[in-house]
Amino acid sequence: MDVLLDIPVLGFILQFLVYLVQVIGSGHIAPIILGLATPIALGALCGVMNERSGVVNIGIEGMMLFSAYVAFMTALFVHQAFPAEPGALFGATPALIAGVVAGIAAGMLISLLHAWLSISVRADQIISGTIINITALGLTSYLNRLIKPFDSAGTFQSFRPPAGLVNLPGIGWLLEMFTAVGPIAMSVLVLVIITQVMLFRSRWGLRTRAVGEHPKAADTVGINVIALRYRNVLIGGVFAGLAGAYLTLEATGSFQNNMTAGRGFIALAAMIFGRWTPLGAFGGALLFMGSQAIGVAIRLAPPSGDLGTFLAGIQQAYPSIYNNFFTGLPYLLTIIVLAGVVGRSNAPAADGKPYEKESPT
Amino acid sequence: MKKLYIVVVALIAASFVLSACGTAAPPAADELKIGVVTDVGQLEDKSFNQASYEGGKAAAEKLGATFDVIVTQNISDYKQNIQTFVDQGFDVIITVGFLIGTDTAIAAKENPDVKFIGVDQNICVDEQGAPDATFTCAGDAATLLPNYQGILFAEEQAGYLAGIVAGSISKTGTIGSVAGTSLPAVVAYIAGYEAGAKSVNPDIKTLTQEVNPDPAKGFNDPATGKAIAQQFIAQGADVLFQVAGLTGQGVLEAACDAGIYGIGVDVDQVQTLPNLSKCIVTSAEKKLKDTIQAVAESAATDEFKAGEVFYNAASEPPAIGLSPYHDLESVITPEIQAKLDDAFAKMKSGELKPPRK
Repeated sequence: MDVLLDIPVLGFILQFLVYLVQVIGSGHIAPIILGLATPIALGALCGVMNERSGVVNIGIEGMMLFSAYVAFMTALFVHQAFPAEPGALFGATPALIAGVVAGIAAGMLISLLHAWLSISVRADQIISGTIINITALGLTSYLNRLIKPFDSAGTFQSFRPPAGLVNLPGIGWLLEMFTAVGPIAMSVLVLVIITQVMLFRSRWGLRTRAVGEHPKAADTVGINVIALRYRNVLIGGVFAGLAGAYLTLEATGSFQNNMTAGRGFIALAAMIFGRWTPLGAFGGALLFMGSQAIGVAIRLAPPSGDLGTFLAGIQQAYPSIYNNFFTGLPYLLTIIVLAGVVGRSNAPAADGKPYEKESPT
Repeated sequence: MKKLYIVVVALIAASFVLSACGTAAPPAADELKIGVVTDVGQLEDKSFNQASYEGGKAAAEKLGATFDVIVTQNISDYKQNIQTFVDQGFDVIITVGFLIGTDTAIAAKENPDVKFIGVDQNICVDEQGAPDATFTCAGDAATLLPNYQGILFAEEQAGYLAGIVAGSISKTGTIGSVAGTSLPAVVAYIAGYEAGAKSVNPDIKTLTQEVNPDPAKGFNDPATGKAIAQQFIAQGADVLFQVAGLTGQGVLEAACDAGIYGIGVDVDQVQTLPNLSKCIVTSAEKKLKDTIQAVAESAATDEFKAGEVFYNAASEPPAIGLSPYHDLESVITPEIQAKLDDAFAKMKSGELKPPRK
């Protein structure tokens, strides 16, 4: 083993892989990565639902932000009206559950606007998404100043899996990843699998893909293109709403202006990375956020051996580049990935094209 | 249908514009006018934007002046936002943050009749009084720009005190600090913090991490702050100092969840985040609001001081310090308190100078 690690260049890569295995396997970092990836993965699911049925949605960022605000404020009001002790499971309170429901409703409301603009009115879908982003930022910032929430309804608590499970050799970290998190993060894997199976194995999925690739053909065999698109965009709103609720009710117990901080756009990148499939998009979200978490880990607990010496040397020589490199890593990966490392990825053929039924004459 | 769509878009656009600049009312003539241009982010940052706003507003109320605020949305808008106040005939303009300093210096040179107060701003000018890109700072700011005061706090002194607390109460011997964006004030807090911790425990391990080089993300992303803090905790850190504005709320939440201690920044964060009071042991404070209010009031008189003015432990009243310990008073033993008092006295006399970077 040591002989392998001493090979120039390749040895470095091997050492790095060994380090990765160590960090992920025993650093309790896996649930943190899933937590970071949750809003990205949910946002990407929203994107998949939209684009698979032929509607471009760049307003995910705004949908998430608006839902985050609505979820937070609803939870706060319910919390103040009916204060309750945190429940045994996930520390859930009626306030938090009401907040999640309200967040999902808010996501659906905004997606209804997007659906109306881009399906019925046949407006430019990029413009519609941009309007949603700008409006959500302006409106939530304004309301946040107007109402000035001071208190908080708290957050969902992470589940604490038994130590025996986490310490299982080999797969302990994987079990920890999907169990030592809160309810919304835990639901992501389930939602991803359900969407994946439905999209590729059900009648609804086939129709959705048909509507996204060739709506006219779908229409001629009797599929109601408009209705199906409306329905899918609304389901996408559910995911975006859940992502927003995650930010204010599970990740943290506060709302800040523009707290989505570009997550809606990274979600779109994850969706493209995953070639418009739910599982692929989830993988993309894990990759992007995993690189962020590992960037922090490398700085907190640097690898030992030659690689550690090498990195320490770089840090000494170019401190600002070294420090910013890891912060920029998710974005760098996004660029590399989108520039074609994953191969050609084709968007659904009718993506972004409003469907107009030819009028019978 | 098309028409309805246009109407909806117009309404939405209008609502955004209105919400962005809802407060710009035409002011009356001859009245003293005080304006605040914030740093990027938001007014409700529970930190320097908010304190500058409150300080400026309190001064305006005391002086019977008109008061207004512009919240900067983007770094590229600094200049335009300052100019907006200049054009409306404001007499005192308070600009907030290190990054807006260059545009403030330019505006101060162009508008000698307007008094400028820069929070957290070094003034670095060449012999002509223009901002110096080479950072040799050959010009004397106080004489070249007699209408501009840069308020500087000795963050490293407040950080040093917080470090003494952290070094003393840490059981694992590992402490952490989260920086929003590595601006001079943030770096100073953390340098002082680490020096203070080492002064009580030379073997202590200090971890630190910048959230994002972009201040709009670095100071405004509690979810990422919490994730970073959780990684610190996994590394064994049991005291976390947040110097990350609203991102820091996530850091303190992570500390509470894990049952360890957090240290707040800038203001007494037990008051701004009451639901986290069970784990915030203290906050490294700089008296932003009081200082800004006093300087803004001085701008209306002849006592206005130009150039960089340092506010530190030796200021009267002291401009830096630790917040009350509230619920966690029992954690601070008389022994720790003695070390804090000793360090404060030494910093006041100038005997002890913690590093600023």
